[in-house]
Amino acid sequence: MTDLESKLTAEIANLLDDKKVDVFIAFKKAESPLHPQPAFFTESNQLGDFVYNSLCQNNLAAFIPRYPLSARIGMVVRGCENRAVNHLVVEKQHARENIFMIGVPCEGLVDWHKLVNRFGEEMIAVDEAKDEIMISYRDRQIRAPRQELLHDSCLRCVHPNPLSADVTIGELKPEGDPTLARTEVAAFSALDNAARHAWFRKEAERCIRCYACREACPMCYCTECFVDHGVPRWTESTVSPAGMRAWHIVRAFHQAGRCVSCGACERACPMDIKMTYLTEKLNEDMRTKYQFECGMDDKTQPPFAAFNLDDKNRFEL
Amino acid sequence: MIDHKPKIILFQCQWCLYSAEDQTWVDTQLPVNIHLVKVPCTGRINTLYVLNAVQGGADGVMISGCLPEQCHFKEGNLGARRQLDQFADFLDHIGYERNRVRFTWLDLQDRGRIQRDLAQFEADLTKMPKSEALATRVGGHHD
Amino acid sequence: MSQILPKKNLKQLLSNWAASYEIYAPQQLEKFAHFMPTNGSELLYIDEQHNTRFPPKALFLPQSETLMKYTRFGAAQETIPESKPRIVFGIRPCDAKAVDLLNLMFLTEKDSDPYYQARRKKTALIGIGCNIPCPSCFCTTVESGPFGRQGMDALLTDLEDIYLVRTLTQTGKTLFAEYPEATEAQEAEAKAVQQRSLKLIDPAFETKGLKAKLDSNFENALWQKFADSCLGCGICTFLCPTCFCFDIADEAQRKERVRNWDTCMFRTYSLEASQHNPRPTRRERTRQRVMHKFSYWLDHVNKIGCTGCGRCVRYCPVGLDIRAMLREFNQLEAEVANG
Ligand code: SF4
Ligand code: SF4
Ligand code: SF4
Ligand code: SF4
Ligand code: SF4
Repeated sequence: MTDLESKLTAEIANLLDDKKVDVFIAFKKAESPLHPQPAFFTESNQLGDFVYNSLCQNNLAAFIPRYPLSARIGMVVRGCENRAVNHLVVEKQHARENIFMIGVPCEGLVDWHKLVNRFGEEMIAVDEAKDEIMISYRDRQIRAPRQELLHDSCLRCVHPNPLSADVTIGELKPEGDPTLARTEVAAFSALDNAARHAWFRKEAERCIRCYACREACPMCYCTECFVDHGVPRWTESTVSPAGMRAWHIVRAFHQAGRCVSCGACERACPMDIKMTYLTEKLNEDMRTKYQFECGMDDKTQPPFAAFNLDDKNRFEL
Repeated sequence: MIDHKPKIILFQCQWCLYSAEDQTWVDTQLPVNIHLVKVPCTGRINTLYVLNAVQGGADGVMISGCLPEQCHFKEGNLGARRQLDQFADFLDHIGYERNRVRFTWLDLQDRGRIQRDLAQFEADLTKMPKSEALATRVGGHHD
Repeated sequence: MSQILPKKNLKQLLSNWAASYEIYAPQQLEKFAHFMPTNGSELLYIDEQHNTRFPPKALFLPQSETLMKYTRFGAAQETIPESKPRIVFGIRPCDAKAVDLLNLMFLTEKDSDPYYQARRKKTALIGIGCNIPCPSCFCTTVESGPFGRQGMDALLTDLEDIYLVRTLTQTGKTLFAEYPEATEAQEAEAKAVQQRSLKLIDPAFETKGLKAKLDSNFENALWQKFADSCLGCGICTFLCPTCFCFDIADEAQRKERVRNWDTCMFRTYSLEASQHNPRPTRRERTRQRVMHKFSYWLDHVNKIGCTGCGRCVRYCPVGLDIRAMLREFNQLEAEVANG
């Protein structure tokens, strides 16, 4: 057990023993080394399985809308998860006073796609040190620099520190560089229309419409998603280009002003489909047009839920 | 260059044309290449409508509505302007050129402007190639 | 008795076949292996130790398929595919067995699905065994193995620069007719490779008595525990080589009736028109997936509906592992049925 894990365990045990929360959402060990499993602890004696490391791929805030507003939820949060919680509070998906966040300044997540693409499916264990990842096979071990395996969203992360956790464990990290986050969107936008379109098609048309991206996203909590709607049918139901492109366009667009750049959608995808180049474009536009960044507090309405006569002259007439 | 008339989908807020002649013109005399979708307010235009038009092979989409502070429903147009403008930018991001989506926000004295704006739009679209990005149901049915 | 196919001859062989067959073989899509058409000129991706990410069931039961086209006034026209004879080359034993299991669903004596039939009947499966199984593979637990032959017309064993070919049907024999017989030493080498591989896979759970335990623990609290982490996505079932559920829909704008893969993990799967949902929460849905494969399949055709390919284990975004779930059931008591 790492130092961080033992500190977290102690905190969580206290919360559960003092009955300050009804459930504590964190991770536990799973047999597959690449995917620790979201876990829901209700008693401190269940914490034996507890694990917390850079392979914990999910955004745990995605589980919050499953609970009634009155449930007292404890959660371990990284920067993006804290922001997701904040925004869920803005959208009235839970009451802030009923969430207890233990914050962990985030080192960045190791992307399982990058691991598998580079090291194959034969890994039997993956361990981490500060700057290195150790990959074990049945008969040998390999080391690789952590930086090369971080998820793209983490490489461009601007706010790795939890902003409003109730307790924070560990030392705060320096803020990320906002220009870095923008360079990629800018580079994509600089391509011509045909090139952008070609990239979009190449990614979208590999989709198998499993909707893991949706289910993994803290903001996709609609009881009925537009793709599941039968009458009227908004988009084609098939894996035709029409259906798959519509899914990618509209899912991303529904995140305009609501996305916290966690990358959980991309990490959930079984087909290695890139999709944060869509949401990051929207995030960038929300920043430049409306000076809005999602999840920075738990009060400010996103641009599409608010409107302002001040933007009267911003549009072509 | 398009060798035939560009297909335009016009989403029109039913309150935005203040003069009866303009509305009659839109209702009865739109050229065949312009398809009218009348809505109770621009605020009612779901981005999925726009997408459906684009996937159906629209070379251009025009949205006409009322100016801010003149919305029949007070603020439907304010939300619509933010969302639809962003959606047009977003479509551009994945290859459907920004100038294929046009807005015309109409005022009381804008008599006859809808005809002019549509004509201008059509002229501009004619200079562009047929829209292929995102058109997935071309040769679609209109019956 | 086996034959020898030198690896350097593979391209030529595929292009010879291409004259009279459509051929599908694993090739690289992004960074993973994916079945795609080939005429021998493409670079194959079969020396990789692991399986394709997307299951080859899609070659028989495509994810979306048009069943018929209609017009406003005319009669509907069924669109049963007229496929050329096909070869699926490089299919792994778990996936070939899965196709065989799908036959039980779609090619029954009484009633065959014409769309599936049209594709299946004309397709030969040339398999390749797995020299180094992934840690997530558990084929040996479910009556198969890294060199299982079920469903195949021929099975290849990779021996460095040759493949040892074991033909299993007349079709297989014809396809490899011109290749020389293997020497005894080569046969022995292949056997050693196969046995080594077999030893690498540990039993994942106990199948004996499992069905009874599942059946008698239908209301067990474990199901809720599993469902708590489950996202309810389509990964485990869409990537599963044996899942065959589909939904029929009308694409009115295209004037087509289509069928799409569906999955019991989706909320909409069992949602009725009245909005009543007999499987209202993830608990019932998670249970359905496991029960179907390890209990209901046995009721219907007396076979386990899982071939141990391990895809659901590898790609579940929350690390829900069907092996671990079943082991928890292994530990429970099966209530003794009274009468
Ligand atoms: S869209 Fe993706 S990156 Fe944005 S909040 Fe949802 S899961 Fe995170
Ligand atoms: S894609 Fe849109 S409709 Fe679907 S769940 Fe997400 S936010 Fe809701
Ligand atoms: S997770 Fe990937 S494959 Fe699944 S629906 Fe989303 S983009 Fe498509
Ligand atoms: S019911 Fe579920 S587990 Fe069974 S075949 Fe259908 S999708 Fe697969
Ligand atoms: S892949 Fe995992 S999260 Fe998705 S439905 Fe299956 S068990 Fe649930």
